[in-house]
Amino acid sequence: MIPFPLIIVLIAVLGLLGVGLYGLLAVRNLIKIVIALQILGKSALLALIAAGRASGQVNLGQSLALTFIVADTVVAAIGLALAVRVRRRLGTLDARELGKLRG
Amino acid sequence: MAGYLALAVILVPWLGALAVWWAGDERRLAQHALAIVFALVTAVLSLMLLPVVSAQVVLSLSAGASFGTFTFVLDGLGVFLAIIAATIGTLAVIFSVDYMAGEAQLGRYYSLILLFIGAMIGLVLTGSLLLLFFFWEITAFCSYALISFHNDDPKAVSGGIRALIVTQVGGVGLLAGALAIYSVLGSFQIGGFLDQAEALPPGMLRWMAFGFLLAAAAKSAQVPFHTWLPDAMEAPTPVTALIHAATMVNAGVYLLARFYPAFAPVGGWKVAVVTVGVVSAVLAAVMGLVAVDIKRVLAYSTISQLGYMVYAIGVGGVFASQFHLMSHAVYKALLFLGAGAVAHIIGTRDMRQMGGLGREMPFVRAVFLVGALALAGLPVLNGFWSKELVLEAGLGGGPLWAYIAMLLCAGLTALYTFRMVWMVFYGTRRSEGAVHDAPLAMRLSLVVLALGTLTSWVSAGPFGQMLARSLPFHTLDVASTGQIVLTVLMAWPTWLALAIVALGLSAWWWRERLAKFTSRLRFLARAAAGDFGFAWLDEAIVRTAQGTAEKLSLTQTGQLNWNVLGVVAGLVVVLVFLIWRA
Amino acid sequence: MQILIGCLALGMLVCAVMAIRANRLVVSSLWLAALSALLAVLIYAMGASRVAVIELSVGAGLVTVLLIFVVGIAGDEATGGKPLIPRAVSWGLGLVALILLGWFTVPLVAPSPPSSQPSLVSLLWKDRALDVLIQVVLIFCGVMGILGLLSEAAVATVAGRRRAAQVPSAGTDSEPVMEEGRAQL
Repeated sequence: MIPFPLIIVLIAVLGLLGVGLYGLLAVRNLIKIVIALQILGKSALLALIAAGRASGQVNLGQSLALTFIVADTVVAAIGLALAVRVRRRLGTLDARELGKLRG
Repeated sequence: MAGYLALAVILVPWLGALAVWWAGDERRLAQHALAIVFALVTAVLSLMLLPVVSAQVVLSLSAGASFGTFTFVLDGLGVFLAIIAATIGTLAVIFSVDYMAGEAQLGRYYSLILLFIGAMIGLVLTGSLLLLFFFWEITAFCSYALISFHNDDPKAVSGGIRALIVTQVGGVGLLAGALAIYSVLGSFQIGGFLDQAEALPPGMLRWMAFGFLLAAAAKSAQVPFHTWLPDAMEAPTPVTALIHAATMVNAGVYLLARFYPAFAPVGGWKVAVVTVGVVSAVLAAVMGLVAVDIKRVLAYSTISQLGYMVYAIGVGGVFASQFHLMSHAVYKALLFLGAGAVAHIIGTRDMRQMGGLGREMPFVRAVFLVGALALAGLPVLNGFWSKELVLEAGLGGGPLWAYIAMLLCAGLTALYTFRMVWMVFYGTRRSEGAVHDAPLAMRLSLVVLALGTLTSWVSAGPFGQMLARSLPFHTLDVASTGQIVLTVLMAWPTWLALAIVALGLSAWWWRERLAKFTSRLRFLARAAAGDFGFAWLDEAIVRTAQGTAEKLSLTQTGQLNWNVLGVVAGLVVVLVFLIWRA
Repeated sequence: MQILIGCLALGMLVCAVMAIRANRLVVSSLWLAALSALLAVLIYAMGASRVAVIELSVGAGLVTVLLIFVVGIAGDEATGGKPLIPRAVSWGLGLVALILLGWFTVPLVAPSPPSSQPSLVSLLWKDRALDVLIQVVLIFCGVMGILGLLSEAAVATVAGRRRAAQVPSAGTDSEPVMEEGRAQL
């Protein structure tokens, strides 16, 4: 039985984390920021499952991952609703424009 | 049962705050009524705490490993301050019905007052240092919000901010002390700390002792943190009577009294406390002598009398200081409410524009006189007994220079009190316009407080015994009321003090004859009017705080990407720390 | 086995990078869907079959549909513009964070054989019952939030405000819209 190459999975986790963080740092459009958040979420998901696999308790990892999927989806939904609302009221989805206070 | 009572007496005023806010500013009558009802219920509940005074923890709520247990202890020290807060709060609320008759935003006013009453009661009833800090901060916030109540008046707003910043400097001292206790003993319980105070390393105990002294000095407006209190007089008068005379400024004295057994052995602490008390008392008395705003005179008088209480704690007379606290709360609230009545009717607080009002305002003059005589320390009134006890404790347990200074200060107190009464109620009439006596609601509060001033000293004996019974770590010498009366009357220091007070009173009476002497002291008057230069410290603190806040606001760009940068930078710092440690 | 995992990992990284780099939002969403699909396969390969199915249906299905729907409502403008933070800073900081994380976590990975474990269903409902309860609360709150956010959106649209601003008198017309706006806040 070939031992499962967890190192590769870990590198994938770190890679996704990096891409997600870069997205949060560099992206200006709100909806794309939600997408970057989703990528971050997937990296966390992978890490949870990998940890479950590494410790032998796959089911524990699965239950935690399930909780996380629910939370992540709710966050995405609310983030998108916010984006719609912002677009309608303020007319823009750009982070820089939104950072300016309107008197 | 007692636990639920303790919880109720804190939560009822908070519920009242919500109720008044919910009633809305259109239904003014409902707001007045709700405020009075909730305050009254709180006062009754606090009086019901008297039979269950004991040294044990009555209610204990676990708040997780890092916050410890939130405990409530109904001992004498806490219960009596809770009763003062609730009853004087009720009287201030009743007074407000007439004082705030035409004002807008009543909901905000009553909600903040009720919130404050609940927080103050919580502060004195809790046995957990963290919860004490939490309530301390709530009272500071309410004080700020109420001082700046007329938020279109720039003086009021700046007074509120200055009060907040200076008292928060003290709050830092309190938090540092609380965290020090937690780091050494592992819990926030005050009882546990008093029990094991010797177990703390002496350096840390010294830090804590002086940190708490800092917190108490800032909150109780002692030198050098005293400048916020005269500036806080922009608040509506019932607020001043409640917060800045009877309750919040006593929180510092309460802190010192509560932790006295632990800090007394620390070298130099008692001397520091005595010095702070004496300097505040004397300096404030001199400043009160030259002030022309009636509320400012009373503010300086508050600082001076708080100096007496702090001095009493410094010499070991914890009972004397708490008894003086009780008397002072009653007569100072009376004086402030009376001054508020006068200012409300005349329209100004400047005493140079008053005079001869006694003829048209006999009721206010009468009650104000009662309060003033108590402040000066005339026999029969509660101020006399408590001040004599403080002076005797000082003679027995403290340095002689301090005693002499406090004795002379008693004379100064009489002098400025008489000056104030004379300038307002006697002499020639300097203001024009019609003047009427105080309306009904104001009279009600004033008469209750005047009765209290006349009689509260009778409870000295039972009060002392209640304290002795429920404070296991303090050593108090207490006696019955009769014994106290006899001791005070028989002791020669009493008569010495009375002579000095008489000297003070007569100095005003003969002021024309003393004019040559006083003109040479004019430089002192100018220095006193300028706060003896302490204003620069106050200014420096406020300027630093506001300047730093403005500079730091540049980091709040409001842009998402910058915030995420902060998050990632924080992550890097945490990781570096973890790797370096591992 | 290792090749498979390696390919999946590489594919996921490529999809993620393309999702961020894509200019049009719809294309971005599709890359995200691809990422979810590959992730689901990888999770299945690690033995967590149930979560793999859920991730496939939720991540690649639900979220993608949601994204495309919202992009349809909110507009698919070009999402360009210079990043607000200098590129060097974000690259540098990101790399530093990743390297530190890697250094910290890689030595911890030591696979152990699967132990006897309770089934997923019993685990969820007994041991992690609090989690399930919180999830329910979260979903409820999310629904309430979304309803609140989207319900009044029809009243004060951008077009409505533009129309009001064109009316010359500043007194009556623009004020009601402003009042509504304030009330909504």
